[in-house]
Amino acid sequence: MAVPLRIAIAEDSVILRDGLVQLLVDRGFEVTAAVADAGALRVAIERERPDVAVVDIRMPPSFTDEGLRAAIELRRQHQGLAILVFSQYIETRYAEELLGDDAAGIGYLLKDRVADVSQFVEALERVASGGTALDPEVVTQLMGASRRRDSISVLTARERDVLSLMAEGRTNTAIADSLCVSEGAVEKHVTNIFSKLDLPVSSSDHRRVLAVLRYLDT
Amino acid sequence: MLITWGSEPDSRLEELARTVVETPFTRRTWAELLFMMAGMPVAFIGMAFVGITMAAGVVLAITFIGIALIGVAVRGARGIGGMQRRLAGALLDEAIDDPEPFAPRPGYLGWLQSALRDRTGWKAMAYLAVKVPLALVAFVTAFSLWWDAFRCLTYPLWGIGNRGSVAEWGAVRVLFQPGYLSPGNGGGPFVALATVITGAVFFFVAPWPVRFFDYLDRLLMRALLAPDAMTVRVRKLEQARAQTVDASAATLRRIERDLHDGTQAQLVALAMRLGMAKEKLADADHLDIDQVRDLVNDAHKGAKEAIVELRDLARGIHPPALDVGLEGALATLAARSTIPTELAVTIDERPSPAIEAIAYFCVAELMANVAQHAFASRAGVSCSQQGRWLRLVVRDDGVGGARAVSTGSSSSGLSGLADRVRTVDGNLEVTSPPRGPTVVTVDLPLRA
Repeated sequence: MAVPLRIAIAEDSVILRDGLVQLLVDRGFEVTAAVADAGALRVAIERERPDVAVVDIRMPPSFTDEGLRAAIELRRQHQGLAILVFSQYIETRYAEELLGDDAAGIGYLLKDRVADVSQFVEALERVASGGTALDPEVVTQLMGASRRRDSISVLTARERDVLSLMAEGRTNTAIADSLCVSEGAVEKHVTNIFSKLDLPVSSSDHRRVLAVLRYLDT
Repeated sequence: MLITWGSEPDSRLEELARTVVETPFTRRTWAELLFMMAGMPVAFIGMAFVGITMAAGVVLAITFIGIALIGVAVRGARGIGGMQRRLAGALLDEAIDDPEPFAPRPGYLGWLQSALRDRTGWKAMAYLAVKVPLALVAFVTAFSLWWDAFRCLTYPLWGIGNRGSVAEWGAVRVLFQPGYLSPGNGGGPFVALATVITGAVFFFVAPWPVRFFDYLDRLLMRALLAPDAMTVRVRKLEQARAQTVDASAATLRRIERDLHDGTQAQLVALAMRLGMAKEKLADADHLDIDQVRDLVNDAHKGAKEAIVELRDLARGIHPPALDVGLEGALATLAARSTIPTELAVTIDERPSPAIEAIAYFCVAELMANVAQHAFASRAGVSCSQQGRWLRLVVRDDGVGGARAVSTGSSSSGLSGLADRVRTVDGNLEVTSPPRGPTVVTVDLPLRA
């Protein structure tokens, strides 16, 4: 890695914060700041201008959603700052708020995902390069609650897998790897899905995420 | 000793005299008179309204209109009862709790049904029925005494030519034969003096009948205008239930917070270290065994910490020692205390689990207080069954001065305990004079 990604961390649990720093440094990233609350994160980002901010949703003082508020605000203020929001539980409403109209450079993952180090790092890098990383849990919740279940049931099992992975923000290559099929096969599935669900075809992966999420959510 | 004995009757007489002399000049006397006067129109107009409506209702009872009129009468009586209560509150400082507000069911028929079943309204009606004759007697008595007092005291000021008979009205006419105090009987300075003295006597006597009748009225209002014992009880239970619900919600939130910040974070960190170690082991070419060993060591340490945290948390939710009974659980508590603690438990019958849990947490909290605040050298815990009650006593020989202070809506410490005990109709009492010793007594029902 020529220029390592520069990362700021906001996480109030000392154990997790130290663990994350250890993991990221071990993987060759540069950790510019590791702080315990949203206020300190704002200061750190203003000063260090990192590429990515990893933000815990629930932090002091109110222990509700100050991390999320900070993430939305930081995104408005700093063009090009990628944000990975990181939480112990998934709220679909949070995902919608966070994505807004633009899913580029946004991630929302369960904290558990750090256990699979490579996947976590891959998601972090995807977000840093302007992609999207949504936790499979978000996609599962959306699919479960979607009023479009009838039209989703038209899809084949394989197509549903592809739809889920698309919604998580994966590229066709990654989807192909994950399902152990060729990229061409994935492309075919994607085309089928878009025509079956009558979705507008999007060129970029993060627009594709929004299109799928909107579809599931309405 | 002798002096006190001799002077006691004197001081009593003195006090009595002072009371008699001062009473006509106190605010209370005049407020009572005003209450009696103001109560008259309320009672009479109220009775007229209720009486006429009721009578019409009863006459027409076979028609719907009649029933509706009875409903209106009951509802009206409730309103008048409320006015009377406010009057008593303002003038007599007689604070009578408001009964449950009238909460009619929706719809016209619902209203009528609620009005007809309104115990408060019917009781207010009974109050009015007794109040009217009482007010009448009271008014005549009070008015004649005060009026005569006024007339007699001001007798010398009347114009010479206008001096009519004093014994024309009220108490004077009853007490004195016609002509006894009348100027027609010769008049002169003697009569004037006698009249003024009579007036002065009336002036000092007049407050007492008024006070007596107001006292009767107070009793009547307490009996008929206050919420009945059942309502008060229901209200208390509702409060206790609300407290219980709040407390259990707060407890759940605390447990969630502890799990989220503690164990869950520990386990995520643990999984992360193991994940890193696993990936390093998979990459056999660049394997740095020391690095992996450090990761596994950290993970191992984290796992042990998570176990300890989880155990403490579980014990805070429900102490496992309680499974074998309160006695064993209290023994564990006493043994764990940093201050030498004597324990005496005499229970014949096992209390219900909820009571055992409350008893346990009470003792735990009280002993923590002793350890933190009392500077005590010894402590004692006793737990005994007394009939259907469980009595816990925690005492220490410390500095004392413990108080149940309620801090806003969220209570903590002793007052939090008192709240918790009250949710099962129990009672917590603290005696803690400065310099100690402190004794906290908790009474809990055996079953809840």
